[in-house]
Amino acid sequence: MINEKKMVAVLGAGTMGSGIATVMAKAGHSTMLFDVNEQNLQRGLDTVRGFFDVSVQKGKLTSEEAEAAKKTLNGTTDLHDLAPSDVVVEAIFEDLSLKKETFGRLDDIVSERTLFHTNTSTLSVTGIASGSKIPGRVVGTHYCNPAPLMKLVELADGRHTEQWAHEATLEFLTTLGKTTVVTKDRPGFIVNRFLIPWENSCIAALEAGLGTKESIDAAVKGALGHPMGPFQLLDIVGLDIHQQVATRLYEQLRDPRFFPPPMVDRMVAAGDLGRKTGRGFYDYENTRLFGS
Amino acid sequence: MDMQKIGLLGFGTMGAGIAQLIAQSGRDVLVLETAQERIDAGMVFLADFLSGGVARGKITEADSETIKGRVHGVLEVEDLAGVELVIEAVTENPAAKKSLLSKVSSVVGADVPILTNTSALSVTDLATSVENPGRFAGLHFFNPAPLMKIVEIVRALETDDGLVETLVSFVESIGKEPIVVKDRPGFLVNWLLMPYLNDVIQAYDEGLATAEDIDVAVRLGLGHKQGPLELLDLIGLDVHHHATTSAYGATLDPTFAPPPLLRQLVAAGHLGNKNGKGFRTGGKVTE
Repeated sequence: MINEKKMVAVLGAGTMGSGIATVMAKAGHSTMLFDVNEQNLQRGLDTVRGFFDVSVQKGKLTSEEAEAAKKTLNGTTDLHDLAPSDVVVEAIFEDLSLKKETFGRLDDIVSERTLFHTNTSTLSVTGIASGSKIPGRVVGTHYCNPAPLMKLVELADGRHTEQWAHEATLEFLTTLGKTTVVTKDRPGFIVNRFLIPWENSCIAALEAGLGTKESIDAAVKGALGHPMGPFQLLDIVGLDIHQQVATRLYEQLRDPRFFPPPMVDRMVAAGDLGRKTGRGFYDYENTRLFGS
Repeated sequence: MDMQKIGLLGFGTMGAGIAQLIAQSGRDVLVLETAQERIDAGMVFLADFLSGGVARGKITEADSETIKGRVHGVLEVEDLAGVELVIEAVTENPAAKKSLLSKVSSVVGADVPILTNTSALSVTDLATSVENPGRFAGLHFFNPAPLMKIVEIVRALETDDGLVETLVSFVESIGKEPIVVKDRPGFLVNWLLMPYLNDVIQAYDEGLATAEDIDVAVRLGLGHKQGPLELLDLIGLDVHHHATTSAYGATLDPTFAPPPLLRQLVAAGHLGNKNGKGFRTGGKVTE
């Protein structure tokens, strides 16, 4: 087991980055969380440590396990501290040039056998890989939010990903307790590829008067066995996030099913972004997304 | 309880499930079929489903007997005189449905509600076959009817408002959640589901991932109880093909059009779980 432990760097201490860092630390990998901003970094580190504390309270981890996981976690704002990394997981802002530039700078810092993983959800793995002098080492690994709780990772090779990187990535992902599915470097991979048009069609049906938000949510849950209706889910995802993801996928696919319906624009304009603002399709007293 | 005696047309899978639900609510059900063998087959199906419930401890043996005792097969349309509500659940053939509905409407009282369990045909169109179409609406159960929580109440163009209210109470009285929907191809649930399933079939055909990985991604990524391709195998590829062809014909919306792979699978006899050949059944299609 000891030689399975890797030096893992996670870039970006936002929601996804801190979630992925949690996954890495919990799996026992030596985890370095990086963010350019010291405040963001500290908030991210606190999020990871907080997750382990809550896991102990809930009886999911012993306090020894939580302490061990916390000990593997470190943070930095200096890219040079990532030099010994075996795996770098990029979870920074969804900006192609920023992601490319970051991989390009890392080329000069880490070993040429270091794996570069991108957690992009809407950009091309191939495009991001083009920022590295060794695009063959870049693999798309898309985690679901919240990363510590969701089992799925979508793996997508870029156009120039090499077989060794693909295989090493598959092997690495098995150490995380996740289930990996292999897909292609196409906009939205599998889950968002199907979710975005589905959500849009539900919003369009609502706007067309085919049902109310309550009746559509109840029908989808009752007849299809989904854990949440489409509007309950959109309120958790955030209407602004749905708008961004849908628009980015539409820009690449030019398929109108991906374009967010006008109701989304109105809701975003009104600030009704979902649970996080206390109002989306439904009203909420508690703006926390997960837990109580 | 209002509406104590219910007429049911057709004793296939859906008819048997609906008969069970109504009998469970304490009502008597007269099921019309074309031959005694079909009545016997329906009773066997009903009995099997109930004994499954007994085995799982959901109902008692005595309840099961009482429920069966409330379901009576009949062979003549005239035997339905005196029922207080009619539910049609015969094969999805518009000519057959209309001919039968027309006969039934002349036998039962002029104000007796007549409902269709069609999933793919226009309720408004079927309503033209009965006298007084204001008493006609859709009552769409999902399969298996005894287990699925919701029932769609389809308001056709000429359906009386009062009938919709009556049906909301009726659906609640059989322990289901009523969802009032418009008369659109697929109503609400299948209107949303058909383009989604078509999209998955097309993406699979384009090599997005293996059938298994697509299902795993949707189960784990979205928490659905079933992935889309295993759901298609369960629904039946022929049933999905028929429903999408019908919906496309009614809308000319390409998102409803059956994708080429679906057409080929059905043409080659790949129908899903019912014949062991589908996306996830280990047949040729699955990698």
